Amino acid sequence: MSTTQRLSWRVAALASATALTAAGCGSGGGSEDSPDDPITIGVSLPLTGDFSEPGKGVQRGYKAWAKIINDNGGLLGRKVELKILDDQSNADRVVSDYEQLIGRDQVDLVFGPFSTRLVVPSARVAEEYGLLFVEPAGAAPEVFDQGFKNLFYAAPAVANDHYNHLAEYILALPEAERPKSVAYAAMDDPFAQGTAYGLKDKLEKGGIKTIVDEVYPPNTTDFGSIAAQIASSKADMVVGGSQYQDGVNLIVALQQLNYQPKMAAFSTAPTEPEFAKAIGNKTEGILAPTGYTQHADYPSNKEFVEKYTEQFGKAPEEDEANAYTTGQVVAAAVEAAKCASQDEECQQKLVKWLRGNEVETVVGPLKWDDKGRPQSAHMIQQWVDGEIQIVLPEEQKEADLVHPKPKW
Amino acid sequence: MPSASLVFQSIVLGVLLGGLYALLAAGLTLYFGVMRVVMIAHSAFLILAAYLAWYAHRETGVDPLLTLLVTVPLFFVAGVAMQRLLLTRLRPATLTMMSVLLTFSVALVIEGLLGYAFSGTQRRIRLNYSSASLEFFGARVAVVKLIAFGLAAAALLGLYLLMRHSRFGQALRATIQHREAAALVGIDTDRIAGYGFGLGLATAAVGGTALSLDSTIYPSLHWHWIGPLMAIIVVGGLGSVPGAAIAAMALGLTQSLLQLELSTTWAQTVFYVALFATLAVRPQGFFGGRLAQRF
Repeated sequence: MSTTQRLSWRVAALASATALTAAGCGSGGGSEDSPDDPITIGVSLPLTGDFSEPGKGVQRGYKAWAKIINDNGGLLGRKVELKILDDQSNADRVVSDYEQLIGRDQVDLVFGPFSTRLVVPSARVAEEYGLLFVEPAGAAPEVFDQGFKNLFYAAPAVANDHYNHLAEYILALPEAERPKSVAYAAMDDPFAQGTAYGLKDKLEKGGIKTIVDEVYPPNTTDFGSIAAQIASSKADMVVGGSQYQDGVNLIVALQQLNYQPKMAAFSTAPTEPEFAKAIGNKTEGILAPTGYTQHADYPSNKEFVEKYTEQFGKAPEEDEANAYTTGQVVAAAVEAAKCASQDEECQQKLVKWLRGNEVETVVGPLKWDDKGRPQSAHMIQQWVDGEIQIVLPEEQKEADLVHPKPKW
Repeated sequence: MPSASLVFQSIVLGVLLGGLYALLAAGLTLYFGVMRVVMIAHSAFLILAAYLAWYAHRETGVDPLLTLLVTVPLFFVAGVAMQRLLLTRLRPATLTMMSVLLTFSVALVIEGLLGYAFSGTQRRIRLNYSSASLEFFGARVAVVKLIAFGLAAAALLGLYLLMRHSRFGQALRATIQHREAAALVGIDTDRIAGYGFGLGLATAAVGGTALSLDSTIYPSLHWHWIGPLMAIIVVGGLGSVPGAAIAAMALGLTQSLLQLELSTTWAQTVFYVALFATLAVRPQGFFGGRLAQRF
């Protein structure tokens, strides 16, 4: 082997090694025993790493819940205390975090972490110890395929049902106005893909053709080629199964190719506060499903928005609301079962109560099927005149759905 | 079967992408050529430049391109300082290996500082021409991609002219070809090596600014870039700037065209397939000239 050869091999090996190490590394977290008096609730959250932004949102939601409930006299007359560990968005860490919280710290209750990828492994730990596991962020189908008996998702709908109202609306349109072809692009992520494919299944059943179906990896940086295929297909409608960054990139790439669909729907991205700025305000007509709005007039939502804004200086978004909902769901079960401790009898009472009852929350009344799937649907929002407004379903709408969509 | 207009559109996108890749990889191959330093932190500096462009634009509203006036000289000086203060301390015998560790840590420091200063939130420069495009024989060319391509072309042409026609370029090439011989004819090779490194980092300032025009940026983004860039310089022939440019263009185009028939995931693996094919068939790289054969 020549020297060149050896050096080239080395560079190659290093390049691959670098790519591998990029995934992340670990560090320790500490804990202290707390007195028996307050109800302690253990949580592990991705406060650093890939999911740190939504992770911190969930943390704020949990903190707001704890503060509001303590200000109102606590739970069963006892104060609640949160014990939050950082799992660095790492699935191994989240498992050891919950082991520690349940085993060593002896917390009375647990709340779930953020993202499907962390919910599944941590739910397994809770299941093993027989604890109730209410979680704010595992919407993908595989969360509910694992046979968990203690899991409940504290949001209106699972990923596949996010677009249900939109599917109904489209299929009810007169033949002439209905989109005839749809282009789908989805991130290779259980949640993002779940949203787009839920809609795809329903529209295909209704006879609407799929003419582009692209899946891209989460680290995709260039969306030019995907956009070129969608634009060239001239599909009547484009559906993005997206998280934040990829949704923005794809929309800009589509606009650069001057593609003008009659309908455009993207999950997550359009509901983020930064969205309009990020795409230069060319948002007209973009649709998105959302599980939460600050304007919803559910009884507890007003108090939540008001006190949250007081505490954090701005109004809550969806991640915060889902966390708060988790707190409300567990609190309702605790009040009904009149117990909050790790012992089996108490935890079984909590699970059993939730299985058979409806809970009033900031995202509306929730109830669940036997797999923990919530039985409601997401609202559909649309950017109309520079503002995102609820357009579906009828009962909750703030504006009429604009179709066909104006040029962006 | 994709339509002719889609193929043409993909070629246009591939050429634009290839131009950007060429610019981003140029610095890497330069460091390697001059000093056999594998600079893992190059892509971290790209992201740093992108952040500076974004920050200046957000705070003052200036066009991100104007930040080049500051970042190019700043990065040049930082490059010279990094070479003189850090890399010269490494033993020549283990330079290639140790430079990886050293620059790996520099990359981590940059990533950490970016996270600290700007948080992990994903950012995108908001320009009123972000989504504007021009018609080109039936294909659409985004204005921002065209600007990035123009920047790449100008920077690479400048680099080429500098290397070919200036005394400094001659001295740099002499240092690359044979360091001892260059020193014997009176070239201050230490100083030249420092400038060479500075020049490489200056291209990162241009590249990062070009990148910022049409990408969402976040502190850990550089890990996504270093793999493809390393592949480009190996395929192009370590140390050859034209080689890197040709390889970048070829891989950018291939990626864009493969996308038509395969999924995005598969199209992206073209870099690694090319990397391993190169190592198996022609380890000195496909386009490297005599410069590359020196090593």
